[in-house]
Amino acid sequence: MSRRPALGGLLAALLLLGPVGCGIPDDTEVRVEGSGPAAEAGATSGGRVEPPSRTASDTVEEFVANFLSAAAGEPDGAYDRVRQFVDSADRPRLQEKQGSAVSLTVVRLIGPPRIVASPDQSRVTLRVQQVGQLGADGVLEPPEATATSYEFGLRPTLQDSGVETDWYVVDPPAVLLLSVEALKNYYTPRPVYFWSSDRSRLVPDERYLPRAVPKDRLVSEVVRWLTGGPSNWLRKGVSPARDDTRLINNATRTDDRWEVNLDMPGDDRTRLEQLGTQLAWSLPELTGQLELKVNNQSRLTIDDLAQRRQAFPAYTVDDAPQRFCVYEGAVHSLDYPGEPSGPVPVAATANTRVVSAGFSRYERGILAALVVTGQNGRQHLSVGVGADPVTAFTRSQGTGYATMGRPVWLRSANPPAGLVVADGQLYRFDSQARMSRVPLTAAGNVTGVAASPDGHRLAVIAGNALYVLAVNHNGGVLDAGSPRQLYTSLTNLSAVDWSGENTLVVGGSAGQPAIYEISVDGARESALREATGAAVTHLAAYPANPANPAAQISGKVMYEANGVAFRGVPFEQIKRDPVQGVTQPPAGNPTAPFFLY
Amino acid sequence: MALPPISDLATAAPQRRGAAWELWRALSGRGTRLLAGLHQTWRRSLQVRVVTITLLASSLLVGGFAYLIADKITNILLENAEADVKTRLDSGAAYAGKQFGLYNQPQEAQFQETVDGTVNYLAGGDPQQTSGVVVALTADNFSGVIQPRTSPAVGNLNSVVSPELRATVAGGSVASQIRTGRLGEERTKYLVYGSPVPTRFGQVELYYLVPLTRQDSAATEARATVVATGAALVLLLGLLAALVTRLVVTPVRVAARTAQRLSAGLLDQRMVVNGEDDLALLAASFNQMATNLQRQILRLEEMSRLQRRFTSDVSHELRTPLTTVRMAADLIFAERDGFDPAVARSAELLQAELDRFEELLTDLLEISRFDAGFAALDAEPTDLVPVVHRVADRLTCLAERVGVTIELDVPAAPVIAEIDPRRVERVLRNLVGNAVEHGEGNPVRITLGVDDTAVAVTVRDHGVGLKPGEEKLVFNRFWRADPSRARQTGGTGLGLSTSLEDARLHGGWLEAWGAPGQGAQFRLTLPARAGDRLTTSPLRLVPADATLPFGGPRDGGLLAIGPGTAGALAVGPAPAGERAESRP
Repeated sequence: MSRRPALGGLLAALLLLGPVGCGIPDDTEVRVEGSGPAAEAGATSGGRVEPPSRTASDTVEEFVANFLSAAAGEPDGAYDRVRQFVDSADRPRLQEKQGSAVSLTVVRLIGPPRIVASPDQSRVTLRVQQVGQLGADGVLEPPEATATSYEFGLRPTLQDSGVETDWYVVDPPAVLLLSVEALKNYYTPRPVYFWSSDRSRLVPDERYLPRAVPKDRLVSEVVRWLTGGPSNWLRKGVSPARDDTRLINNATRTDDRWEVNLDMPGDDRTRLEQLGTQLAWSLPELTGQLELKVNNQSRLTIDDLAQRRQAFPAYTVDDAPQRFCVYEGAVHSLDYPGEPSGPVPVAATANTRVVSAGFSRYERGILAALVVTGQNGRQHLSVGVGADPVTAFTRSQGTGYATMGRPVWLRSANPPAGLVVADGQLYRFDSQARMSRVPLTAAGNVTGVAASPDGHRLAVIAGNALYVLAVNHNGGVLDAGSPRQLYTSLTNLSAVDWSGENTLVVGGSAGQPAIYEISVDGARESALREATGAAVTHLAAYPANPANPAAQISGKVMYEANGVAFRGVPFEQIKRDPVQGVTQPPAGNPTAPFFLY
Repeated sequence: MALPPISDLATAAPQRRGAAWELWRALSGRGTRLLAGLHQTWRRSLQVRVVTITLLASSLLVGGFAYLIADKITNILLENAEADVKTRLDSGAAYAGKQFGLYNQPQEAQFQETVDGTVNYLAGGDPQQTSGVVVALTADNFSGVIQPRTSPAVGNLNSVVSPELRATVAGGSVASQIRTGRLGEERTKYLVYGSPVPTRFGQVELYYLVPLTRQDSAATEARATVVATGAALVLLLGLLAALVTRLVVTPVRVAARTAQRLSAGLLDQRMVVNGEDDLALLAASFNQMATNLQRQILRLEEMSRLQRRFTSDVSHELRTPLTTVRMAADLIFAERDGFDPAVARSAELLQAELDRFEELLTDLLEISRFDAGFAALDAEPTDLVPVVHRVADRLTCLAERVGVTIELDVPAAPVIAEIDPRRVERVLRNLVGNAVEHGEGNPVRITLGVDDTAVAVTVRDHGVGLKPGEEKLVFNRFWRADPSRARQTGGTGLGLSTSLEDARLHGGWLEAWGAPGQGAQFRLTLPARAGDRLTTSPLRLVPADATLPFGGPRDGGLLAIGPGTAGALAVGPAPAGERAESRP
């Protein structure tokens, strides 16, 4: 009897409380949902090139060389790697910097290191030329340090037999030193491209990518460089990168397709297209698809990067350069077998009393600038613009100049303009041969000028030093950036021209007159000709066409020294035979050779 | 406590125990009373039963549904969250796999940066805007090389990501778990999903920690709603049941009360008829039944009254001519000696039959007076001993005529009782007259007995006796044991009937016993005080010398009468020590 109500109450309580008990539990058991994703079978890319470790050297010299390459590699680990070389007591002397502040001091050794050996500590003295500061973004900036020598000690670790097996650096320099040899060995120079100020063409910018970086990370690094903006010295000539664009994590690859996720405010299709073209040029080894995402939204897909490069050339360089020289006071073409040649694109009436000349192709016509000797023996500039052959020439005003260098055309200028050195000053001229001085902050007389194939950079020799600077020619006004000095081992610099988009050929003296090829930051140099016998007075080169590397010609450099013209590499004298349009026998040497492209 | 104190020390504990016992007794007594009360309520009230059953059944039903619904809602919420997290986890793991696929070594400089960037990216970038979701990346296989990262940054990841889950995920499985822990300010329930992320150098683990606060509160809310609705529904149903039951029970109660009143004689009680429903039909039918009953009863009463009136009237009307006839007959009877012997015999017969006729009329009048309810008891304290003597004396000559001796067994002391002496004398005269008449020459014994509450007189004869079943019939009007037998003596056939009515008028009993061949005994029992209720009689109805057909009990022993086999009544000697009492 009484069980019934009791049971009922229990049931009711249970049932009303029942739903209360069936909420989301506080803790559950681990539930396995399945197996995880399988690893992608991707090819492991690239041998990792690391600088040798502290103990890898057998001799002190080798150890010093290794010490100077220790910092090479990814900037994050630079301090760690150098610290391995340093005696533990002296390690705190290396004031560590983090992230983008890591900067390596690139030096060129002048002569071998001087090592004063002693039983317990050797002293090493390095005589150096400061080349630059290699930043975390791969840019070699002008040097900050002025030291011409570094000195440090070596504490040997002696084995029982008394043989020195390895060493520790004591009293190390406060900076991370990197020799130019190490820069060459452990970094790959890579051009990345920025849009010129008028966004009409791409201007190359040199970067150094550590070889330790796996190939798969290349895209990410390049995108970071591009979003990070151009090198400082280039800023005048290129449009600045917007600093609100940022790469989100890494660019990733699926088969042959790369995916770049950007953090970019606004919906700027044009900018994305331009960035795509920049990427296509900055990553010449990529041929597949590139997808650009903005905040995870797919915005632009470039189906074929190679096609993109063809469709949007970085800048125009003619594939078929023609060689010309001045012979007997007139411009003549040089004809070599297998190379294009043609008539001189200048009317014969104007082609007299020529000292040197500079031609350039411009749209469908020819830009011609001739340095001619006037009646008074002084030199004038004669400029003609028009269809081939150019007949109408205008002579520069004034009394002329005592000496004038070879005129060069600025390929980016519109309307056409060129540059010429006259009486130690740099002048700009236009199609009417109006000359105006270009002020330079670089000290000393200007003795040589060369314009890059993209037309936004100049190489200038002033006060016996080599400079590069960015220019921007807009609306007939030449706007020059501040020159950046390149530190090269050459002295007595006499002539310069661009042999590639990021290389210069420079005539100077390395003990004896020589021609070197120098990178646009001055760090890498290689001798093209060790001994020219005499100072190089004229130097011309045909830059490799990045759009068509196959169209490379042999002997892209021509120079004149001591009144004799050579072409190379390998170098050979330019004899009379290839000179066209002359009749025998007037004798003499072809001089002031140059390219038309 | 009835325990006598032996010593103070010894009594303390028992006292306490006793107090506890008392309390327990009080409580259990109270509980028992409460339970008894509840039980009584349960048995008595249909309404309570219906409401209780409705409440039970509905709470069972509603509770079941509530459980199902709440469970379903919770499951749906949880499944949604799980599917959501699973999708995010899969895409996150794929993304992280791609990101980490660029590295060959965990020691690579930018790997940690990529870990940070990936975690931040997967968490949605801005830690301020995340909805509490924590993305974590751990590398249990590379601890020390790869720092685990979370976004937004939390310190105690282990409080939510259990070692078991970490082991499972590190073993290469996608796994999930719900854990409650404190990552930020509050203790929060997290749905933790973990997936391994394969890289070229091994495996790292990606975790998504999604707070279930929203789902939890939604589930709680839904549950509360369901419970509240369910409780309200159950209460409503109970209320409804109470109302409906009340609707039915109230008229039934009214009907019961009306029926009680009807049975108590209030024949004009009727139910109120409201509407035309079943209950109204019940009330109408009830009323109709009551009306019919009342009419029938009144009709029967009327008929009975008319009959009695007729008897009384006939008796009265007969009395006047009878008086005249009587006077003439007396005259003839007085002069019979002068008549022819045959005529004289006729005059004698006429006289005798007139006597019987007069007696018959008297008895009829008496009976009709009883029937009409006009008989009144004229009770006064009377000594029964002279009454018995008088009756015996009166009938002595008749007894002598048929050769019967009348024996008296009366106490020496007076037997006083509040009786109507005239009626008691008539009853005794009837009984003794019958005994003498049917005594067949055997003696008739009159016994007078008395105790505190009653007086009794038995009249015993040893005639032919009564057949079984005739003990009741003898009191019927005009009943004869053998209808073919002519009435020899002057009996009217109404004597025992009027005697029974007299006994009843006194509140006493008049009973008969008889057995074939053993004669009969009649017993009159009257209360000592008029109006008292009789419980026992001072004398036994069955005489001590009566023999029973089955041999009977030993002399003076008692009889036990009880249920026998096959529905028969078993009569046998009573077990020793029991007292038997026999009643009519």
